[in-house]
Amino acid sequence: MICARSLSFAAGKRKLVDGIDLDLVPGQFIAVVGPNGAGKSTLLRLLTGELKPTSGQVLIGNRELSSFSADQLARRRAVLAQHTALAFPFTALEVVLLGMTVPGLQAEVGNARQVAFTMLERLGLEQLAGQSYTTLSGGERQRVHMARALCQLECSGTPPDETILLVDEPTSSLDIGHQLIVLDELVRQKRRGRSVFAVLHDLNLAAAYADEMVLLAGGKIVAAGPPSEVIQDERLSLAFGCQVCTNRLPAGGIPFLLPQACAAAEVCAVARKSAATYS
Amino acid sequence: MRRLIAGIAALAVVGAGTQVTNGWAAEVVDATGYIVKAEDASRLLSIGGDTTEILYALGYGDQIVAVDTTSQFPPEVSTKRKVGYMRALSTEGVLSTGATLILASAQAGPPEVVKALRASSVPLVLLPDNTGPESLAEKVRLIGRAVGAEAKADELAASLENQLRELANARSRISKPAKAIVVLSVSSGRALVGGRGTTADIMLSLAGATNAAASLNGYKPVSDEALIELAPEAIIAVRRGPDEDTAADIAALPGFKAIGAGDDVPIITMDALYLLGFGPRAPQAASELMAQLYPELPR
Amino acid sequence: MAIESLSLPHAASASSDRHALGWRLLIAGGLVLVLAALVSLSVGPTGLTLSDLPRALLAAYSGSGAPADVHARLVLLEVRLPRTILAAFVGASLAVAGAMMQGLFRNPLADPGLIGVSSGAALAAVATIALGSSFAGPWVRALGIWALPAAAFFGGFVTTIVLMLIARRHGTTAISTLLLAGIALGAIAGALTGLLAYVTDDRELRDLTLWSMGSLAGASWQKVLAITPFALVLLLMTPRLIRALNGLLLGEAEAFYLGIEVESAKLRIVTLTAAAVGAAVAVAGTIGFVGIVVPHLVRLIAGPDHRIVLPASALLGAVLVVVADVAARMIVAPAELPIGIIMAVIGAPVFLHLVIRRGGALSAP
Repeated sequence: MICARSLSFAAGKRKLVDGIDLDLVPGQFIAVVGPNGAGKSTLLRLLTGELKPTSGQVLIGNRELSSFSADQLARRRAVLAQHTALAFPFTALEVVLLGMTVPGLQAEVGNARQVAFTMLERLGLEQLAGQSYTTLSGGERQRVHMARALCQLECSGTPPDETILLVDEPTSSLDIGHQLIVLDELVRQKRRGRSVFAVLHDLNLAAAYADEMVLLAGGKIVAAGPPSEVIQDERLSLAFGCQVCTNRLPAGGIPFLLPQACAAAEVCAVARKSAATYS
Repeated sequence: MRRLIAGIAALAVVGAGTQVTNGWAAEVVDATGYIVKAEDASRLLSIGGDTTEILYALGYGDQIVAVDTTSQFPPEVSTKRKVGYMRALSTEGVLSTGATLILASAQAGPPEVVKALRASSVPLVLLPDNTGPESLAEKVRLIGRAVGAEAKADELAASLENQLRELANARSRISKPAKAIVVLSVSSGRALVGGRGTTADIMLSLAGATNAAASLNGYKPVSDEALIELAPEAIIAVRRGPDEDTAADIAALPGFKAIGAGDDVPIITMDALYLLGFGPRAPQAASELMAQLYPELPR
Repeated sequence: MAIESLSLPHAASASSDRHALGWRLLIAGGLVLVLAALVSLSVGPTGLTLSDLPRALLAAYSGSGAPADVHARLVLLEVRLPRTILAAFVGASLAVAGAMMQGLFRNPLADPGLIGVSSGAALAAVATIALGSSFAGPWVRALGIWALPAAAFFGGFVTTIVLMLIARRHGTTAISTLLLAGIALGAIAGALTGLLAYVTDDRELRDLTLWSMGSLAGASWQKVLAITPFALVLLLMTPRLIRALNGLLLGEAEAFYLGIEVESAKLRIVTLTAAAVGAAVAVAGTIGFVGIVVPHLVRLIAGPDHRIVLPASALLGAVLVVVADVAARMIVAPAELPIGIIMAVIGAPVFLHLVIRRGGALSAP
């Protein structure tokens, strides 16, 4: 569906993303994890078409992404960015309705407001529909934007298995309850056939919800595969520059990890090795 | 043949201001060349301080229904309605005065309003610009013709021309003309001085002085340094209102202090409209100025 | 998830109220504008009213007539009518330009003056006034009454082109760069204007001062003809920018994700703004505050959706300037107040209120 082939992006001399090959498949939830500065957000922005790669390509179907016009892209993929600021006092419902700004969209959807409201309901926000966006908490705002992205895809007229939802740290300002609401929704979207690509900072949640995980460090893919393969002591310690301890949950065998307290000397060693490998 | 040429030449000379009298209605060629038919001088609109003064001098003060804001003499004029600044007129405002004849200085504006007024049914006579001493009599005669007071106007014009001749005589007795400048105003530390081509320039030459600022064109702000270079021997401070103390403002400027303003270089204060209006009081103003510049000159 | 009821529950209806309010605002705005226009035609220092309109039309049709009829024709059809039309145009275009700028910069205090369009237009006008009697003389005389308006528009437009060239790098236009470049250009224009003041005559300087305070006194059908192409362009092109403006409110990246061609949209917004402001400045001098006050009020009432904000701003802007113009010619009749002063008297307190209230809801990212 969407694939990256030898994708690279350099800012000045530094390669933020280095030779990435990736495939996003319909009905699959891929979580991208990695330390700060690993290139996760850059990779997302390359896949959305916002950034142009310095080498390599992004293909949608068999066509290069650059050959799509903005509104053609908007019918195939929706993006939830990490921070979205809004300068004017829209109501929550109006923000969701902005998802239909895609040229040509509103004309096709009859009951726009109804759809928008449904999206808010899905994310537990139906009470806030008429409230001003500026009075919402960070977590509520994040979910409103999620509703907007969903609205965009829902009304795009493209069948779900040809659409992609790209999400950048959707759980960053949410409490655990709301984190689960959002992730549940992502899974629901996956089950409808959409391809879901999420940058997540919480490794455990990623392991619990994603079908595939991709570990990024220094702009390169260090590991890719189902969570059980990616969540491994050595690998993660090296990538993140700290000692971790992995294990499995008894029921279901979902892997999880915890940072391990250890002697200062050990910590330094791991950090040094990590820095050397992934500078 | 020679008679024919002479005849044509005479006609050409008489050109500006030709009139065809029909009862009292007059066809007047105004300063821009328009032929204006003036029939009714009962309600006059006067634009320009000099225009207003001339009308009063001709005895038509009562017929004036409205004036512009530059018209400030004689004092009775303060009771008249004001149509605003002469360069910022409004068509409807002017028409609402119910004037039957408009007499306007060359400076009246904006141009679109002048154009619209010409298209209206109210006759508009534009007066000539002040190009030199002869402009004074020209204005008087043109106004006289327009309002039907030719005889009175000729009388006034003759008297003014007389005064100008006397001035010329007085000038011939000046052995050494003084270098003077006319300061219009002082703002943000700079003095606005009258260069050549201004009424100030004309008045200085009438008063027998040379314009120290003749190198400037029009009214220009001058810096302190430039002032020192101009090296005037006398400064004429123009006062626009009774509360203004232009002389003190001038004396306070460092540039003026440097050239000795107030000590070696006398500062003469004169009223703005009186000195620069170039109305019927102009020869008198020039004479006064001359007296102040050359106190020892026999009168 | 099934939708149980057909009507939206209470929480959502607050939004719908605002939505419906928006349409009502448009209708009300339209009616008020017609009313204001009628008042403008009916009120003036000469005391003529609409009841004199039949006489005026008769005189226009027959080409001549009794002096009273000709007088009525002149005042109603040659002075008040073009003046009303121009006032409406100036108000509408300044308000819409302001709304677009605020959408582009995502800041309710953004104003076309900020990106230097007004400064460029003003500089060109000043240059025309200052140099008109010296070396630019022949051209100025040839253009006659059109010299000033043509110059103002040209100046505004050129400034915009220069700005876009400065602010565009690698095909993108950074808005903060645009803003800074606009301020810089404004400063340069101000300096050049000051320089020209040295070249001008005292009279010309006074003309300049008057011009910079704004006035519709020189309104004529010629000027109406001149702005008609601009009005048409604005009428046709602005609605197409509604989606882009809405999307841009979320940020440029988000707008792209929503399918907006951001660079092209920014270019069109800036160009249309330049055209609107240039034309308005050309016929009426500098009139401020309309671009900030009107869109803000509209947003307060009907929300920030540009589908309402743009047309409502146009209507309300037109009403504001038409009414202000009536005040301008009546308060000190038979003289006139410069309309810029009236706008400042109305607009400055509102602007201050905006600045004080700013924070939370109104800060830009």
